[in-house]
Amino acid sequence: MSETTPVSQASNRSAVTITYPSRPVASFSDQVKAIARKDLTAEFRTREVLAVTIPFGAVALLLVPLAVGTDTPLLQRIGTGMFWVVVAVFGVMVGMRRSGSDEGAPADALLLLGSDPAAVMTGHTLATTGLLLVFELLLLPVSIALYQPRIRGWWWLVPLLVLVAIGLGQLATLAGAVTASASVSTALVPLLVIPLAVPLLLAASQSMERLRQGSSIIGWLAVLLSTNLLLAITSVLAARPLRESPQ
Amino acid sequence: MTTTTAPRPTNYLELAAAGALVAALVAALLVPPDRIQGDLARLMFVHVPSAWLAYLSFTVTLVASIAYLMRSNLRYDSLAVASGEVGVFFTGLALLTGMIWAKPIWGVWWTWDARLVTTALMFFVYLGYLGLRRGISDPVVRARRSAIFGIIAAAQIPIVHFSVVWWRTLHQPASLLRPGGSALDAPFRGGLLASVIAFTLVYAVLVRYRRQLAELESQAQSV
Repeated sequence: MSETTPVSQASNRSAVTITYPSRPVASFSDQVKAIARKDLTAEFRTREVLAVTIPFGAVALLLVPLAVGTDTPLLQRIGTGMFWVVVAVFGVMVGMRRSGSDEGAPADALLLLGSDPAAVMTGHTLATTGLLLVFELLLLPVSIALYQPRIRGWWWLVPLLVLVAIGLGQLATLAGAVTASASVSTALVPLLVIPLAVPLLLAASQSMERLRQGSSIIGWLAVLLSTNLLLAITSVLAARPLRESPQ
Repeated sequence: MTTTTAPRPTNYLELAAAGALVAALVAALLVPPDRIQGDLARLMFVHVPSAWLAYLSFTVTLVASIAYLMRSNLRYDSLAVASGEVGVFFTGLALLTGMIWAKPIWGVWWTWDARLVTTALMFFVYLGYLGLRRGISDPVVRARRSAIFGIIAAAQIPIVHFSVVWWRTLHQPASLLRPGGSALDAPFRGGLLASVIAFTLVYAVLVRYRRQLAELESQAQSV
């Protein structure tokens, strides 16, 4: 329970003292769930990712053969790489969606409620990761149909897709928080995310190459897992200083 | 009525940088041409110090960013931006001189080599750092957010440095500071050390002026 509650008296604004709750009103996991549910509900209402970003990604996959020519063996080789490039570039757009933003009044409300900044960051990351996973799962059949890659051990794609979605989700959420209310945030987020997403992209594309050769991808999954752990620690540590910044 | 003007302080750092630059230029011209690469090897007297300064300046940005988050003193923020900006310049210079050297030696301007790609990525990450600073007008918010990004971006420094060890690359591994002694001949090594010292002094001068400029900008914004 909070010790004091925010007071709002329109008739006597100069005398109002706002005190913030010393402890959050809900547990960490409850806050994470509430933020993730809020983001996903907003996405369900606006259909920003499902109706715009995913079809846009599919169009990008469709355009590649026009650029490199209809050389089927070549497209079979580069298809999986193109899939990950599209996931990285359009994944940033998923992270930048308006429905996941807390700028302005929602940010003030979260501050007044005494929410834990790390929980808010984790909640946003969870929602973005979920949407990225949907994005990957819907684009993967498109990629397979268009490029017909020859891969052995399809079951390895399950941990691969999940780990890449978690990594990209964390990076995009972190970059979104760093650039919140910046005048050029739309252009800045991709510039901050894409170069830092290289370990994820490298591990994903090398994993696909090894699957094509019928080799194990355990080493690359370990790289993804380590990157994700580093990003998780960074996100939690950065959450509080980022929240303390006035909007 | 008499007016007195304060004597202009002697700029020892600028004098030292200018002297070191002249000495490095002389040393670079006196070093005999390389047996295989000829005079093209002299590009290393710009390329190697630029790469060293990229590491140094981004490390200074990292330390200043941590110091800002701990102390909330905007002087650390001005040091971080000054060093970051100068670092971006020297990273660009290292990339450019590397490309000019690569065309006659490797036959291409650019190749998909781990050292080259990671250095280019570091360049773009710190361009993003500078872009982030331009996008936020409030000095305190800007300082805090760019300090956080300055710490995250520093992950690129060891990746670039160890890329020649972690991956099989076309780029040569460390030849000056390495276990077992330097792989360079004494005259070339001397010229390289002179240019590294001269460039480092130039870096210090540039950071000092850029830092003063950043503090004046902050004062102008607060008026």
